[in-house]
Amino acid sequence: MSTTKNNTSKQLLWVGMAGISMFFAGLTSAVIVRSAEHGWNSIDMPIWFWYSTFAIVVSSILLIIAQNQVKRGNSPTIYVVGALALGLFFAYCQLKGWEQLTAMGMYFIGEGSNPASSFLYVITFAHLMHVVGGLIALIVTAVKAVQSKYTKENYLGIELTSIYWHFLDLLWVYLFVFLLYSVK
Amino acid sequence: MTNILIALVLILLIATLVQVLRVSELLSELKKQDVNEVTDKDNAIQGRLLLIAGTLFLGSVVWQFVNWIPLMLPPASSVHGAVIDSLMQFTMLLIIFVFFITQPLLFWYGYKYNKNKKNPVAFFYPHNNKLEIIWTVVPTIVLTAVILYGLSAWDKITNADTTDSQIIELYAKQFDWTARYAGDDNTLGYSNYRLVKGPNQLGVDLTDELAQDDVVVKEVHLVVDKPVLLKMRSRDVIHSAFLPHFRVQMNCVPGMITQFAFTPTQTTAEMKIQEGEDFEFVLLCNKICGAAHYNMQMKFVVETQEEYDAWMASQKTVENTLTLKTK
Amino acid sequence: MSDHHKETFISKYVFSLDHKMIAKQFLITGMLMGIIGMLMSILFRLQLSNPGESFAVLEWFLGSKWAPGGILDPNMYLSLVTMHGTILVFWVLTAGLTGTFANFLIPLQIGARDMASGFMNMLSYWFFFVATIVLLCSLFVETGPASAGWTIYPPLSALPQSIPGSGLGQDLWLVAIALFIVSSLLGGLNYIVTILNLRTKGMSMSRLPLTMWAILITAILGVLSFPVLLSAALLLIFDRSFGTSFFLSDIIIGGETLHNTGGSPVLFEHLFWFLGHPEVYIILLPSLGIVSEVMSINTRKPIFGYKAMVGAMLAIAFLSFIVWGHHMFITGMDPFLGSVFTFTTLLIAIPSAVKVFNYLATLWKGSIRFTPAMLFTIGFVSTFLTGGLTGLILGDSALDINVHDTYFVVGHFHIVMGLSAIYGMFSGVYHWFPKMYGRMMNKKLGYLHFWVTFVSAYGVFFPMHFLGLAGLPRRYYTNSAFPMFDGLSDINEIITFFAIIGGLVQLVFVFNFFYSIFKGTKASTNPWKANTLEWTTPVERIHGNWPGEIPSVHRWPYDYSKPGADEDFVMQTEPLKEEETEH
Repeated sequence: MSTTKNNTSKQLLWVGMAGISMFFAGLTSAVIVRSAEHGWNSIDMPIWFWYSTFAIVVSSILLIIAQNQVKRGNSPTIYVVGALALGLFFAYCQLKGWEQLTAMGMYFIGEGSNPASSFLYVITFAHLMHVVGGLIALIVTAVKAVQSKYTKENYLGIELTSIYWHFLDLLWVYLFVFLLYSVK
Repeated sequence: MTNILIALVLILLIATLVQVLRVSELLSELKKQDVNEVTDKDNAIQGRLLLIAGTLFLGSVVWQFVNWIPLMLPPASSVHGAVIDSLMQFTMLLIIFVFFITQPLLFWYGYKYNKNKKNPVAFFYPHNNKLEIIWTVVPTIVLTAVILYGLSAWDKITNADTTDSQIIELYAKQFDWTARYAGDDNTLGYSNYRLVKGPNQLGVDLTDELAQDDVVVKEVHLVVDKPVLLKMRSRDVIHSAFLPHFRVQMNCVPGMITQFAFTPTQTTAEMKIQEGEDFEFVLLCNKICGAAHYNMQMKFVVETQEEYDAWMASQKTVENTLTLKTK
Repeated sequence: MSDHHKETFISKYVFSLDHKMIAKQFLITGMLMGIIGMLMSILFRLQLSNPGESFAVLEWFLGSKWAPGGILDPNMYLSLVTMHGTILVFWVLTAGLTGTFANFLIPLQIGARDMASGFMNMLSYWFFFVATIVLLCSLFVETGPASAGWTIYPPLSALPQSIPGSGLGQDLWLVAIALFIVSSLLGGLNYIVTILNLRTKGMSMSRLPLTMWAILITAILGVLSFPVLLSAALLLIFDRSFGTSFFLSDIIIGGETLHNTGGSPVLFEHLFWFLGHPEVYIILLPSLGIVSEVMSINTRKPIFGYKAMVGAMLAIAFLSFIVWGHHMFITGMDPFLGSVFTFTTLLIAIPSAVKVFNYLATLWKGSIRFTPAMLFTIGFVSTFLTGGLTGLILGDSALDINVHDTYFVVGHFHIVMGLSAIYGMFSGVYHWFPKMYGRMMNKKLGYLHFWVTFVSAYGVFFPMHFLGLAGLPRRYYTNSAFPMFDGLSDINEIITFFAIIGGLVQLVFVFNFFYSIFKGTKASTNPWKANTLEWTTPVERIHGNWPGEIPSVHRWPYDYSKPGADEDFVMQTEPLKEEETEH
């Protein structure tokens, strides 16, 4: 794999992530504008979102280790699979979080909904949709890792998946902290 | 049948055009010329056409100004409107000035520098920093003047002192306007969309003391030279209260109350003398709001204090209409 | 090396990964949509200047439901106006313009085999294609296509009870736009990364043709602004279909009191225009780049002030992010914001002025060859000037009060987008046609197309300023409801007259384009005697662009009529002579 292909793939990813960030910038600006008006509720952040934050942070760490391993010529498989598992757990936690919100009486739409809860659902949902892309990448990477397709000369796949996954991780941490503060 | 004929005609037209082009190309081949090469003759012709077109264009612009300025809105009938009109004149003169210098240059250069025997070679002139600075600094200075003038006008308009203004609500809905005077206490009674019911089309809170002296009308009367503060609401979609003669425009947004302050300076009677017997001040909707957006209007009348008092005396307050009905 | 894989019809013309083919796909789709959009404007103009009159052609196109007895239905009028705007702004001037020229020119002008990711590029076109199909389907739904204006402000765009087009038609519009945005982003990613990474040896950033700079900046603008429209569209979809209250509050419609509270339509406007303003520069910048190229080549002079031109484009791009509020001066937002946006908006006039002066200086003492492309370039400068100057009035908040949403605005944006940007696009097509198809477009038809277009177009849009100053609002089905506008009907008729002529003459262009693809005279490798890399590729066009090694670059692209040179142009691939300095 030529260095140019390496570079261009990574740059394509970076520019794409810049675009995705602007999408969330649009949504979070909407929250800032709306929360300044009357009628903004405060919400107890479901505990499941704390768990999911933990899960995604740890899964990122596992991917860092995976990359280090492959650079040293070792097998990254167990770490990639671990990251995937935690990624799936993240998705599970998000669903449980929504369940918990509904149980609290915070609905997305209709009776019981309010702007704060609607935004909470929309933003976490939008993030989860992007995580689905990340999970697909993780599955492909995991399969290839199991098949020993990565060497210390060529681990572009792990790099790209990691970059995107770290992005989703940081994005989630930002959104989570932002929402925590906004619905205080 | 007509459709088939039309289709046939179109096909024949295209076929003819194709053949004409083919013939022209073959002829050129015979003459050993490239039919699509741009010759010095072409350059000369196009250059001349540019000069003619440029002149006609600028001439047509002058023609349009001369013929259509009389169709423009009459001078503003409000205090701040005069400020706007002056700013508009200033800016228009500025852009017309720039327009009539740069456009002729453009067409002139196109004509003068066309490639022909007299002008076969271009002058290699890649940059000139001094020129760049000049034509950056000069526009900056000019625009600074425009900005300062504009901001001062905007400030006068949006920061007008409204302590003595008469408050009138404009209520927009698909597809008409209603107005509500705040009455003697100059305070509008509380209103909420959930209170709209039956004859209470504006959702006025009939239990509110302040609402009792409000007056709901379908035609707005104003006293000349008395400041007014319009407060806008909408029932359904975004509308826009546009009073072009007063230079007033403000969106009416459901869920929000917007406002615009102004002071009318001419009576309807005065305007009728100036503009013709048929003249009326009018409120138009100026934000796309549905099928009848083009016909959402309300009459505004500006008159003397006495005329206004006589008119207001014949209007009924909320107390005497809605509150009474609900009792 | 050229690719030796066996090509099927599908892999060559349908799912091509070759940037040149993808460019043509964008161009032809854009042209077809342009014809549809243009036709819509003729239809609604017929109604506007002849209210109440029956036109058989209206019923022929729209059927007896939407034009009974040949009279246009008011809801369909608003649909036509909406779809016209949507198609021309997004489908023709964004995808059609950038999609064509970015895809076609980038690898050729920077010296690369293809884009960084041919696959992503192909996806970009196919998302665009599906978006097109969805949008066209919306024309046929029972309640009619979207009709709340191309700016789709809620609540009108959120509530089907407020206008029929806000039913299924608006749903399809939103889906189409979402697909369109994805297509745009996929393209933009490629453009940025390819220009930054795949330049050939010697092609430094300061040796890039201005078209490349323009496209790079356009792509960055797109990546940063389109996603925000996507977020607004997402929230609108939720308000429409899931009963949320992001933009809706305190509404009674069709006799029904809605449950929504706390939403703000103004929030939508902020999110929309955050894209909406950069969008018009996304439309304009590629044309600015194209025109720089065409002008330099046809005046046989370097473009005047290369660095200033790049700087001006960067300034315009940066400023374009902080002016969006000038579309919202009278929305009821805080007047202080109005001041801020007036300030930033008027500032944008400065780099724009610098560019115009540089164009004039390029023409000065040139030796101009009037190809049809060059004529359109001159037309571009004229209309950019006219439209830009009226922007000074609209950008000034106090003046905007009385011209907002009137025909003054309609005149302004049509002159800068519908004339200027489209002229840039025409210029590009005439200029690069020989490289795209290996043949020349017919010169005489080109002249005819230019002159009739130039005259009719100004005939349509210049008078609109006067209509606006007379107080005439836009998006009005008819002007006959207000006696104050009775005196304007002559002007309206003149406008419609020129619109029909201008519309018809575009068929000459379409004919010329398709005829020349098959029967045009064969082109040489470098018919315009230009310096840039694309003119070193063979006429027959191959995958990978160059049959052998990619040439290296030794100079900037604007050595025209350089003193001491053998000819009046020196290609970028020519090494410097002894004693010669690079500009």
